[in-house]
Amino acid sequence: MEIYLPIADMSVQWIVILGMGLAVGFLSGLFGVGGGFLLTPLLVFYGIPSGVAVATTLSHITASSISGAIAQWKKRAIDFKMAGVMMLGGLAGTGVGVWLFAIMRRAGQMDLVVSLTYVPMLGIIGGIMLDESLKTLRAQARGNAPARIYPVNHVWIHGLPFKARFRQSRLYISVIPPLVIGFVVGAMSAVMGVGGGFILVPAMIYLLRMPTNVVIGTSLVQIIGVAVITTLLQATSNYAVDIVLAAILVVGAVIGAQFGVRAGARLRGEQLRLLLALLVLAVAARLLWGLIVPPSDFYSVAGL
Amino acid sequence: MRQVLLLALVLIALPAQAEDLVSGVSQDLIQITSNYTGSDIVVFGAVEGQNQNQGANHGPKDVVVVVRGPDTDITVRRRDRVAGIWINHDAANLSGMPSYYFLASTRPLSAIAPSTVLARYDIGLGSLQPNTVHAHHDYEPFRQAALRHLGQDGLYTEAPGGVEFLSDTLFRAHVPVPAGVMRGQYNVEVYLLRNGAVISAQSTPLFIDQTGLERRLYNFAHNQALGYGLATVLMAVIMGWISSLLFRRPI
Repeated sequence: MEIYLPIADMSVQWIVILGMGLAVGFLSGLFGVGGGFLLTPLLVFYGIPSGVAVATTLSHITASSISGAIAQWKKRAIDFKMAGVMMLGGLAGTGVGVWLFAIMRRAGQMDLVVSLTYVPMLGIIGGIMLDESLKTLRAQARGNAPARIYPVNHVWIHGLPFKARFRQSRLYISVIPPLVIGFVVGAMSAVMGVGGGFILVPAMIYLLRMPTNVVIGTSLVQIIGVAVITTLLQATSNYAVDIVLAAILVVGAVIGAQFGVRAGARLRGEQLRLLLALLVLAVAARLLWGLIVPPSDFYSVAGL
Repeated sequence: MRQVLLLALVLIALPAQAEDLVSGVSQDLIQITSNYTGSDIVVFGAVEGQNQNQGANHGPKDVVVVVRGPDTDITVRRRDRVAGIWINHDAANLSGMPSYYFLASTRPLSAIAPSTVLARYDIGLGSLQPNTVHAHHDYEPFRQAALRHLGQDGLYTEAPGGVEFLSDTLFRAHVPVPAGVMRGQYNVEVYLLRNGAVISAQSTPLFIDQTGLERRLYNFAHNQALGYGLATVLMAVIMGWISSLLFRRPI
């Protein structure tokens, strides 16, 4: 059963795309990650042009983050002021990112950008997760409680000007760090097609020292905001958003995420984290392979 | 444009000849819909007013059918190893190449006419040349790569023996139209050759248009980009929201 994607300009087996949306949605429900960092390379492996994959994955992220955000909002676990400040930074970051995207796409280097940015990112994420899950498993085998990471006190962050009070987070800090974090994550969203939760959450906990109970909800609001802005900018300036592809992915995302959440409540976390770590490393290895192995055809044709 | 002029020249110059060509196309409009997986059109025709007594006409008679799609720009990139990784390093932009080129002939082209004649009428993939080229150096390998890639996609095809004579005068050729073709005006050119010279030619337009939802979505994305983006976002938000209602459970 093939379906034609009007922007990607290709026919795809829609059941395969739906399967990818389901699988990544399941993982995002299971681990509470957005999953963009897996979905974008999967779409590229399938043959979707890198630019379309990057721009369209953000719809998947929007859909799978909405239900989580609604749940957090009901628990009043969202710092809207913090999310707003970060989104301002995100707006600027997205603008720069979309501009960079257009330049790199015109130069025919979008595949390279995706590979070059994803290999280190996935390598680091996968490595950290593998290390952590192995340590936890080993500690459990010995009967010890897992070692916890304690936030370090960043004195320089508290010396910055333009301080503001964030009631929900019980913080009185400069607005510069959240603006910078928002900017970085926004630029990453536009260029790489990721929500950036894996950067946001640790940054909010360890750099901003926000209380953990508001971190998830606030990061989800920021991710949705950036994903929405990026989708609009990619649609208006690069015409890279494929609505048919987005629809299939979104259906997979919302169904997969619900089952992921349920499964996550029952399954053991460490083994799953180990599996996800291995999956992430495998994707990184596949991208690296494409970079270093001589291509079967040195020429590629575009413009049709 | 060049071909049109040449064809006009041929048509003006040749009425005195004894043999004339009549040809037609089974379909003059192809609508590509969402489930279009390719189809065939038939180009048929007859060689009329054949005079067996004329000495000059005694060589074998050959018919060449060429279907050309609208011109387009093709960018060909070459990967090179830079600092250990393979990146798109060099590129050539070939302007004015046909987006689709199909050729059927009674015999292999090399047996029909010398290459100078073929080149004059743009007959054959070997004669396809871009109008303008943006490249740093020799573009020939890039042109070859374009021919190879478009050939793999079924967009550039040469079918020697693709024209069959049903009788002494009646001929027919099947032209495959794959799913990936560009929409626009196509030209079906039929050439009659004898003794390595074109003695008659005829051109018929053929229109290929895309219809259906995909076309409308493509137009929507390009003409009302903001509305299209908003529609995509809205779809994602509503689906996420509905799913949180449907799968509501105590947390």
